[in-house]
Amino acid sequence: MLCLTRLCKSYGKIVAVDDLSLELRSGEVFGLLGPNGAGKTTTVAMAMGLLKPDSGSVRIGDVGSPDAASVRAMIGVAPQALALYDDLTGTENLQLFGRLQGMSRESLRKRVAWSLAFAGLTERASDRVKTYSGGMKRRLNLAAAVVHDPPVLLLDEPTVGVDPQSRHAIFKGIEKLRDDGRTIIYTTHYIEEAQRLCDRVGILDHGRLLALGTVEQLIADYGGKSVVSAETADGAIRIETDEPMAEIARVQQKRDVRSIRMDRPDLERVFLNLTGRHLRD
Amino acid sequence: MNRVAILALKDLKLLYRDKAGLFFTFGFPLVFSIFFGIIFAGIGEGSSKMRIVVVDEDHTDGSRAFVNLLAESEELDVEEADRATAADLVRRGKRVAYVALPKGFGEARERMPWGAVPRVETGIDPSRKAESGMLRGVLTKYGFEGMTAGYPDPAPMRRQVTAIRTELLNTTQEKTAASNDGATFLSNMTMFLDHLDTFLAALPSAPDGTRHGGLASDERASGGFAPIRIESVPIASERATPTNPYAVSFPQGIIWGVLGCAATFGLSLVTERTRGTMVRLRSAPITRVHILAGKAGACFTATVALTTALLAVAYFFFSVRPDSTFKLAIAVLSIAFCFVGIMMFLSVLGKTEQAAGGIGWAVLMGMAMIGGGMVPVFIMPKWLQNISDISPVRWSILVMEGGIWRGFTFGELLPWCGLLVGTGIVAFAAGVVVFRRVEGG
Ligand SMILES: Nc1ncnc2c1ncn2[C@@H]1O[C@H](COP(=O)(O)OP(=O)(O)OP(=O)(O)O)[C@@H](O)[C@H]1O
Ligand SMILES: [Mg+2]
Repeated sequence: MLCLTRLCKSYGKIVAVDDLSLELRSGEVFGLLGPNGAGKTTTVAMAMGLLKPDSGSVRIGDVGSPDAASVRAMIGVAPQALALYDDLTGTENLQLFGRLQGMSRESLRKRVAWSLAFAGLTERASDRVKTYSGGMKRRLNLAAAVVHDPPVLLLDEPTVGVDPQSRHAIFKGIEKLRDDGRTIIYTTHYIEEAQRLCDRVGILDHGRLLALGTVEQLIADYGGKSVVSAETADGAIRIETDEPMAEIARVQQKRDVRSIRMDRPDLERVFLNLTGRHLRD
Repeated sequence: MNRVAILALKDLKLLYRDKAGLFFTFGFPLVFSIFFGIIFAGIGEGSSKMRIVVVDEDHTDGSRAFVNLLAESEELDVEEADRATAADLVRRGKRVAYVALPKGFGEARERMPWGAVPRVETGIDPSRKAESGMLRGVLTKYGFEGMTAGYPDPAPMRRQVTAIRTELLNTTQEKTAASNDGATFLSNMTMFLDHLDTFLAALPSAPDGTRHGGLASDERASGGFAPIRIESVPIASERATPTNPYAVSFPQGIIWGVLGCAATFGLSLVTERTRGTMVRLRSAPITRVHILAGKAGACFTATVALTTALLAVAYFFFSVRPDSTFKLAIAVLSIAFCFVGIMMFLSVLGKTEQAAGGIGWAVLMGMAMIGGGMVPVFIMPKWLQNISDISPVRWSILVMEGGIWRGFTFGELLPWCGLLVGTGIVAFAAGVVVFRRVEGG
């Protein structure tokens, strides 16, 4: 559905994206997980045709490059920087973006109402955006991406700086979009989000895609073993194992255990193992 | 709806919602126009003297005395020059008119009230009927005053009496001697002249300003006699100052609104970039051309609306009646065109709002300062007036005034309009080139 082939982009000496290839299947949520400066926003900008790659190509569906306006109409974007007019109301923002997509009056009316409900903003629809809370703006930012009902969505950190309540609402919304069969790129540096929402995850660092697969695959391939750590009368012990439950039972039988803990491998460990660093310092 | 129009309407709506921005584009220029109109009106009252040039081609005591009379008058502000310079000053509108005293003026004056009436030539634009009439009145008045001033010194008069007497005798003797009546007239006349000479000889030679000699005051008022013959030479002139001070202050105030529009929309283009809305616009199925055209359309519309609104206020509340509405409309459209280009150029001068805003205002302020947006060009020192010709603000004020009160012909108006439009195109093109580089893709 969305195919990025060998994308490279540098800003002077900084290599923002380095030989990145990616193919999204129709209807999947693809998580692009990486720390600050990994190149997520740059990748999204190239995917939507905003930024010209130094080399490589972007293709959407079997239509072509997003340089063409008709191809861009298939994409909905929620930029990382809030892309809203503060002095327009929620409704007016959505109407504006819908009109620019060339929507008819009737479908615009329906879709604006739908998007406002989707973002849980129906009640505040006729207030100016500058009176919204941060979470409400984020939700409207997402609603503006879906107002023209595009099959492909590029969501760049759609939950950044958001309270748990709004975050929950956004998760629900994205799950709904996934159930409706949208193809979504979802960038984040939150492990939990990637684990909860994404069918597949790509791990991005310094512009390079280090690994790609389902969460289970990534953990199996790069997570390493589970770790059992225990405090005993003889001191602390740490055991790496493929069968943590059996190991715990064994430790408890043999020693005088004060406390015991088990860490299953997760994406954080995957990232640590791949880069030697934690995802967030 | 056309997508450019959608974008332009969005920007106009945003301007309308931004009350501070709205004040600076519409309110401030209005306040400025009215405030300076009041001030100019005051300045006008202070120097109500008509500014003329006097050309003395006679170089006699008589002509000199008349020049001095005019120079000391309450009604006139006098400068002296040769005829060519004088005509040029009038043509360029620096002076309202010239008054030339041709050869023989002094002699004719001395012989007053006998002999040929002294002749002066005035050069003035025929359309300046009020000034022309006033100048005629003033010259006539000093024509009389010169005569009264001439009498207290009896010596020239006695010379005249003698001269007239000789002339009379020479020219009339043959003709009149033939008849009785003629002889009687001649002897009466010589007797009168003798008496007059005796009378003049008896006068004290020290001049006394209060005394009126020669003609009785009721005879002066009769209007049957003109002490001076005025011949008018028509000179088409650029008018230097209009009669209504608001005809100066409104174009000047409007310029601030135009600059405000250029700054507002230029900055809004930067804001779209920094605040991320540009990303969303670019993600829509429209091109960069649409985005820029939308911005330009909004700026153009706001500029024309603002200018029209202020000119309407000037028309209805301050009696600023344009000479030609059509020419004024051409002027306004050219100005809007120029400043849309400048807006585009300003929008790419800085990456951040602060940088673009700062540089933008510095550029606009510079243009306004040298271009007569702050103080009118005619008050400026000469060297600054010359510099001001490079400022689009100056051209803008000029073309507006050209349609309102300068009475520009199309030949005078269109080159300036062309300059405005050309500058607009160049600035716009430069802006687009940089914009494309900055925006990538
Ligand atoms: N316009 C630019 N000019 C110069 N360097 C840039 C520009 N945009 C991005 N970069 C650099 O490119 C690299 C990748 O940036 P990018 O914004 O894509 O990262 P990101 O993964 O989105 O980070 P974050 O999680 O902080 O949003 C960074 O090193 C950044 O400094
Ligand atoms: Mg980013």
